[in-house]
Amino acid sequence: MQTISTDVLVIGGGATGLGCVRDLAMRGMRAVLVEKGDLTNGTTGRYHGLLHSGGRYVTKDPQSATECAHENAILRRVMPHCLEDTSGFFVITPWDDPSYGDIFATNCRKTEVPVQEISVAEMLRREPALNPQISRVFEVPDGSADSFLAAHTNALSARTYGAQILTYHRVVELIRTGDHVVAAVVEDLRTSERTYVECGFILNAAGAWAGQIAALAGVKVTVVPGKGTMVAMSHRMVNTVINRCKLPADGDIIVPVHTVAVIGTTDIHVPDPDVYGIEPHEVRLMLEEGEKLVPGFSQYRALRAWAGVRPLYKDQDVANDRDISRTYKLLDHQQRDGVDGIISMVGGKWTTYRLMAKDAVDTIAQRLGNTRPCRTADEPMPVPDFEHRGGNHAGAGAEKLYWLGKPLAAVEEEHAYGDLICECELVSRDRVHAAIASGASNLDDIRRDVRMGMGPCQGGWCIYRTTALLYEQRAQAAENASADRPAFDIEHANAAMLHFLQERWKGLTPVLWGDQLRQARLDELIYVHVLGAHRLSAHAEQGGGLVTDER
Amino acid sequence: MNYDTIVIGAGIAGMLAAIGRAEAGERVLSLSKGHGTTHWATGCLDLFDIGNADPLAGIESLIVHHPDHPYALAGIDAVESGAERLRAACEAGGYPLVGSLRRNLQMPTAVGTLRTTCLVPVTMAAGDARQLPRQGDGRGPLLIAGFHELRDFFPPMVAANLRTLGFAAEAAYLQMPPHDRTLDFSTVSLARLFDQPAFRADVGRQLRQLVQHGTYSRIGMPAVLGLANATQVVSHIQSAAGALIFEIPTLPVSVPGIRLYCALEAALLRAGGRIQVGSFVQRAEGKGRRLEAIYSEAAAREQRHYAARYVLATGGIAGGGVRADHAGALVETAFGLPLRTPNARTDWFAVRFLSRSGHPVFRTGVAADAGLRPLDAMGHVVYENVAVAGSALAGCDPIREGALEGVAAATGWKAGRL
Repeated sequence: MQTISTDVLVIGGGATGLGCVRDLAMRGMRAVLVEKGDLTNGTTGRYHGLLHSGGRYVTKDPQSATECAHENAILRRVMPHCLEDTSGFFVITPWDDPSYGDIFATNCRKTEVPVQEISVAEMLRREPALNPQISRVFEVPDGSADSFLAAHTNALSARTYGAQILTYHRVVELIRTGDHVVAAVVEDLRTSERTYVECGFILNAAGAWAGQIAALAGVKVTVVPGKGTMVAMSHRMVNTVINRCKLPADGDIIVPVHTVAVIGTTDIHVPDPDVYGIEPHEVRLMLEEGEKLVPGFSQYRALRAWAGVRPLYKDQDVANDRDISRTYKLLDHQQRDGVDGIISMVGGKWTTYRLMAKDAVDTIAQRLGNTRPCRTADEPMPVPDFEHRGGNHAGAGAEKLYWLGKPLAAVEEEHAYGDLICECELVSRDRVHAAIASGASNLDDIRRDVRMGMGPCQGGWCIYRTTALLYEQRAQAAENASADRPAFDIEHANAAMLHFLQERWKGLTPVLWGDQLRQARLDELIYVHVLGAHRLSAHAEQGGGLVTDER
Repeated sequence: MNYDTIVIGAGIAGMLAAIGRAEAGERVLSLSKGHGTTHWATGCLDLFDIGNADPLAGIESLIVHHPDHPYALAGIDAVESGAERLRAACEAGGYPLVGSLRRNLQMPTAVGTLRTTCLVPVTMAAGDARQLPRQGDGRGPLLIAGFHELRDFFPPMVAANLRTLGFAAEAAYLQMPPHDRTLDFSTVSLARLFDQPAFRADVGRQLRQLVQHGTYSRIGMPAVLGLANATQVVSHIQSAAGALIFEIPTLPVSVPGIRLYCALEAALLRAGGRIQVGSFVQRAEGKGRRLEAIYSEAAAREQRHYAARYVLATGGIAGGGVRADHAGALVETAFGLPLRTPNARTDWFAVRFLSRSGHPVFRTGVAADAGLRPLDAMGHVVYENVAVAGSALAGCDPIREGALEGVAAATGWKAGRL
């Protein structure tokens, strides 16, 4: 077994873990991050994409609200390319208690969430599709975020500062000497090779899986996996984040993000963060609630449904999962459990990931005698290679924020019309190549990098094209294969195609009706009738098993 | 204007029905929302996928065991004569289909697997898997050639998968010959370039060099080798290259499918039929067991059409002839005919996208009698003067059964000859 040595081992490649590993590296500590899937494979890659103003928490969770308000302003400064400035409305519909409006506005001011009431006429001027029966509207600085891009941005910066990030590595054992955790054994899930990681400290940032990691150290942490189901609609029927002005409930928010509008969410306790499905009644509920905000909502084309698991930390008895605080909690296991060398960062939300990282790294730095200050609130972040280069706004100040027209403007600047691998999401061949070069090893990784396969056709054309590009690029690289880059042959590529087709199918089946059902049949025509993909031979464990008689 | 027959839908089923009636001397109108599945599919005729066995014999046995299957409704005579009429239409367009209804072919696909089909255009004939060089058989290997600029065909992947099947296959990208298009290469725009003699001569020269160095015996290329006169284009490239050339169907838009449609369109116009594309038939008026009139929508107004008989060939869910709403209701979009569907929405799909049995929802269609007349749930004829053809019929999954064009041709032709 190979041994590596580091100051800090971060477990979990979501927003929190990546924020931590970057902060550690920026303060000069040696840091390694392990993630059992691809980056953002967990909850970070499965949320609706809201950059919170804090408005949703002003009443029930004021501390969270204030944290969100501050972090919102910081993130706009340091990672503008990951954020769209959509603004946000909190609206009182006929189904909501009208007296909550004044409470909401007062609580916003108390929690430092910028708020301004606007007229219904102004609301309808800016968002004509909204329900005209809405009685009051409050505007807050909500935005939408590309959590995939943000994760890669943090990873890129962390690597530049010397951190090491190992994806598809699972922690199989934490080694204790007495009451001190001193090392971890991690397994490369692609090669089954194990590595012994000696470390001064372990930072458990495994989110919904943090309880499982803590258990490896003999420590009990109760994380309640709260399933949130979301549906992406193919139109941005609104360009502003729309929240119901009431205490948070199911299906009360529409987030316009990239080319779609996402409605969320449910909140259902699930026993296991790896095992959950999407129930038809959840999708129905989303559409019904959507109708209250945007009449006709259920007639738009639904693209896919998916769910993520919120990592809610439960340290006392709370009856309802929605009542668990959304703020984060740093668990110092030395003080809490008498076990040194490990801390867990649990709870929280995407918008506050940077603050969570700062707090966790402050604690570790103090323990390891590092006195360098945190700089993540000030230092702007780099842009990954697979991101659009062009398409920036000419306007002063706002030029770096993402905007809806940016991908098309970039394609026009680069004259890449004829080179689009994914037409729905305007993904050019160069960007797919860059994603593969940056380490993406299957189609799902590439999707998270460049959004291929996420538009209306759900991969009908681009799955075939991207598989071929992956094969061509990786087969060339495999001629000088190494431990870092295992050999890649056509059966790996076939497996990647079959696996991705099945992943898309999982997201599609809950929303297949109307045009999207027709699209699914067209995709079947392409992959079965035209391509005969059901006859591909693939490495069984990676996708060959996906063509079955099973119903 | 009064017609004897109005055919709704312009895929293979609708076009053959219209041709049949027009050739019988009727005044025929073909009314469609757009083009049919021809433009998405391979441009071959898939009859019945039972591997290497005799497909026609397979259908004869299917008819005995599944009397509700569209092939059973059409009858074995229409299966044969429908395919032959399609073949004759292509032949007349100088684009013959080759093969025999008694023997399936295995043809390479754009991922490098083999697909089962029955009749293929002559431009694909040399791709018959039985004739392809195998590893170690001493023949010059197969070359799969394409263009970087075309995003719908990737030679290295095709060749690599063919090698896993034991074929001797290599891949090459060709230089795009000089041309005046700069922005985009779709299958159709590339096919138009191949119609130009200078363009294909340049490709032929490149292939000749490759053949001389690599001793290739056959060359597989994306199915973009000409739109208007593909047979001639392939024969030119073949003599320039000094090796047999065959086309492989690409991702849609399907150039061979467009050629097939053009052959059918020419046959219908020759027979005096009228074609109106861009009209979406959305409702119909019946009186008792007769359909009286139908209404199409185009350019923001309804148009009313009358005929003595109607043929519904609007396709299934893929063609848009059947539509589902989010509550799980399925409707036939043109006349509102009763549908035979799987039970509940929870039964619509298999867990696996590529599950061999397919997805039950795609077997949804109109039940019909031996005269292809639509039936209600009780088995009573809904309209005496309507025939249903093609994928709009219940009782089969034409894609999964490898019978997409076969069912269309058999039932379409039967509707044209009733």
